[in-house]
Parts: sequence; structure tokens; C-alpha cells
Amino acid sequence: MLGCARLAVLQQLEYRFNLVADTIIQPVIVGLVEITLWLTFFASTGQSELVGFGREFYLAYAIWAAFIARLSASWMYEMQMIEDIETGTVNSILVRPISFFEYYLGQLLGYKALITVISLIAPLVICVALDLPLMVERIPLALALVFYFIVFGHIISLMIASLGFFFSRVHHLTVAKNITLWMLTGEFFPLDLAPEPLRSLLVALPFSSAAFRPVGYLTGRLPIESIYDGFISVTVGILVLAPLATLMWNAGRRRYSGTGA
Amino acid sequence: MKVLLKYAGLFQSFFKASLMSELEYRFNIGARIVTDIIWYAAQLSVFEVLFKHTSSLNGWSLSETRVFMGILFVTDALYMLLFSENLDRLGAKVRKGDLDLLLVKPINSQWMLSFQKVSVAYAGNLVIAWAWLLWALFQIPSFDWFQLAWLVVSVPISIVIIYSIRFMTSATALFFTRADAVNYIWYQVYRLGTRPHGFYPIVLRFAVLTLIPIAFLASVPAQIVLGKDGPLILIWGLFVAIGLLKLSTLVWQRGLRAYSSASS
Repeated sequence: MLGCARLAVLQQLEYRFNLVADTIIQPVIVGLVEITLWLTFFASTGQSELVGFGREFYLAYAIWAAFIARLSASWMYEMQMIEDIETGTVNSILVRPISFFEYYLGQLLGYKALITVISLIAPLVICVALDLPLMVERIPLALALVFYFIVFGHIISLMIASLGFFFSRVHHLTVAKNITLWMLTGEFFPLDLAPEPLRSLLVALPFSSAAFRPVGYLTGRLPIESIYDGFISVTVGILVLAPLATLMWNAGRRRYSGTGA
Repeated sequence: MKVLLKYAGLFQSFFKASLMSELEYRFNIGARIVTDIIWYAAQLSVFEVLFKHTSSLNGWSLSETRVFMGILFVTDALYMLLFSENLDRLGAKVRKGDLDLLLVKPINSQWMLSFQKVSVAYAGNLVIAWAWLLWALFQIPSFDWFQLAWLVVSVPISIVIIYSIRFMTSATALFFTRADAVNYIWYQVYRLGTRPHGFYPIVLRFAVLTLIPIAFLASVPAQIVLGKDGPLILIWGLFVAIGLLKLSTLVWQRGLRAYSSASS
């Protein structure tokens, strides 16, 4: 798996401008768009706080959520997994001494490690420059939860890719899944702003560990217990989805017959 | 006139071919419609949650913001129906050498590239978007329904502007080996258009009306329909649309000069 991670890093470094656009320019624009919304909110309502937190907390949340959500999302490798199954390229992976799941998980983690190193400098600089709340010492634990979530997200990717054995085109499921995650992870707004009982449900789901929990924790909005709860929630998610993903993958493979020379 | 009829006939053929090809993948049609409904829900969720904590945002009420969203969905659905697939795949066509086949055809290559594939599935989204817009308008008791007629002018202007910007970003594939980065940035620029431009600080507000006129995606049409802005701004919009369309043609022609075939 380490070799796969290295492969992903080398592949990404081949197109450095793409990498910078993907990991820095994109989330910076997203963060700035969200920041303008919060500035408008506080300026037009005249409120100094929203559910107990001041304007700076929301600005810090907006900028960090853009980066952390980008880190925890999986578009590219999920699309590649689907394409491998649709085009039959999966044959070349099936004969390797590594599983399809591990092959792509290694690459995904390698890629995410690379973008963590490159991209997290930007929100740090923005937070320091704008004097926004940030607890630097909390970053490692927050990132640990994000990487744990990536493993969970990869299981969902395997489930979606496995559908490729049964249906001819499933790319749109990846788009649908990722857009759904925008709402469920807290990328757009802190989940504790949602009305009850939606709020409790959203926070309890493992998806909150992709943005809301880590960002809330490192900006001082949430205590350390929320990170522990996040680990538990993601573990439950893995325990539920992993057997289902294995079942779908095995059923798909039994149905599949390789073509091509 | 003869040329127009020729292109209309061609579009009809493209439409038929696209419909047949999409009906082959019926699961995909459903998936596309559902995906866009989820996108609508994602966009709406932000404002629905924010308006739980305030009654007005920079002069926009929840009902007005819902109208803005309705116009955004209508414009987006039209753009997706006509151009999204064509322009999203332009880069791949250049890389794989498929562009060569189009260039030798006795027809305007920019037009053909832009209209070759009609994403018929999005017609379903267009219906949903209109239904949402009408529902949102019914929530405003004082709404003057004649104002809705401005959409006949403003939506085509929006579509031309969005098309031209997107076409130019896609056409960068002719200049660079991999222009994925420009596409990533396009999606974020598009995101700027998913909020009323009155929410932005003055410099950004000016930018989205002039330099990157993404405010015409939905914000300007919504302001006119809701009577927040006079229709005079549409003259500027028309000027921008024509200018950008012309510029997109220039970029395309310049790109073709820089292009070298990739196929054997």
C-alpha cells in the first residue's frame, strides 16, 4: 500500500499547476465565498453572536471547512474505480498481489497526505492574518479524525464502484454522493445551526467527522469529546458498511467477466 | 435564412441522437435528475438554515431568496441541458484527438462542439426548477406577475454569458496539455453566481457584474423580477453577452491555430 501511496504522490506532482489549483486556489475561493456570506449575515442582522459564537468563529469555520471538506472528499479516485470496472481495466488490478480496495486506498491516502502538507498552510496563514480563532495544537487530532473518515469514505466509494458491475453508467452516483456530503458534513454551515431534531441527527452521523467535528474542534467551537464521539461514530459506520461493501464487491465480481486482450 | 434552417435541422438531429443515446442508459437519466435535486437541496439548505436565525439578509427575505434560487435552478437546468456535457468533455476531445473529426466537417466547429450532445435528462430538472420558481413566487402575495416576463430576455442573456465564459475556460485545453485546473476554477467561479450579488462586498459586487459577469447567472434576473433593480441593467447584460460570445469565438480561433492533432 505504501508503494501505491508513493505512486499517487508522483502522479500528482507531474501536474503541479493542477495540484495547486485543486488544493489551494479552489478551497480559497470557496472559503472566501462563504466568508462573504457570514460577513453579510452579521452586518445586516446587527447580531454580535449566533448560537453563542461571534463573527470570527464563523469566518474561521468557513475558511477551514473549505479545506478540510476538500481533504475528506473523494471524487477523483472514486471516478477512477468506476471507470476501471466499466472499461475492464480492473482486470490488471485483480491479478496483482493487492486487493482493489487496498490499491486505491493506498493511492487515496498518499494523495490526501500530499494535499494536507500543501494546502493547510493557506488556512493557517489566513487565520493568523485575520486574527481568527485557531488552536494550532488541536490540528493533529482533528486531522487524525479526517483521515479515519477518509477510510470510511473509501468504503462508500467501493460500494458505488461495485454498482458498476451491475449498471452500465454509475458516474452520477459519485456526484450525487459528494453533493449530499456537502450538506451532511457541515461544509456549508456548522451543523449545530440546523433546527432540532435534524441537528442531533446530522451531528450523530459519521459524516460530521468529515468537516463539522474537526473544524469545530480546531476553531474552539467544540470540545475534545466531540472528536472522540467522531471516532466512535465513524467506527460504527465502518462496521456497518464494510460487510455490505464486501458483499457488493463479491457479488459484482461473480457477475463480471473480463474482456480485452 | 437558409443557414439558420440548416443549423436548426442539425440541432434537431443532434437532439434525436442524444435522446436515443440517453434512453439506452435509463438508470443514468434517473441518477442525473436525482443528482440535481440533491444539488438544489444543498443550495437551499444554506439559506433555509440561515433564515432560521434572521428574517432578512441585506434586504433579502427568505421568500425572495427562494425566488432567486428558483431562477438559479431554471438557468442552471437550461445550461446543463444544452451545453454542460459538450463543454465538460471538450478537453478530453482535444487530448484524445476526437476534435480532428469535428474540424473536418463542413460546419462551424465551435457551434458543433457546443451543441453536439443535448443532455435530455435535464429536461426533467427544468420542469422541477420551474415548479419551484412558481411555488416561490406564489409565496409573495404582492408579486406583480407581469415582472416574470423579464425572464424571457434575461435568461437567454444569462445563458449566453455563462456559455461564453465556460467555453473559453474549456478552450484552454487547446493551449495546455491538461487544463483540468482551469475547470476546477470554473466550478468555483460558478459558485459565486449561486448567491445574490448584493451579499458581496462592493469590490466583488463590481467584479461579478463586469470582469467575471457571473451575477447574470441568477442574481440580476432575480433582482429584476422582484423589482429590486430596473430592467436597464439588461442593456449592460446584452452588451456583455455579445462581447463575451465574440471573445469566445476569437479564443477558439486562436486556440485552433495553436492546436496540433493528437490522433494518428
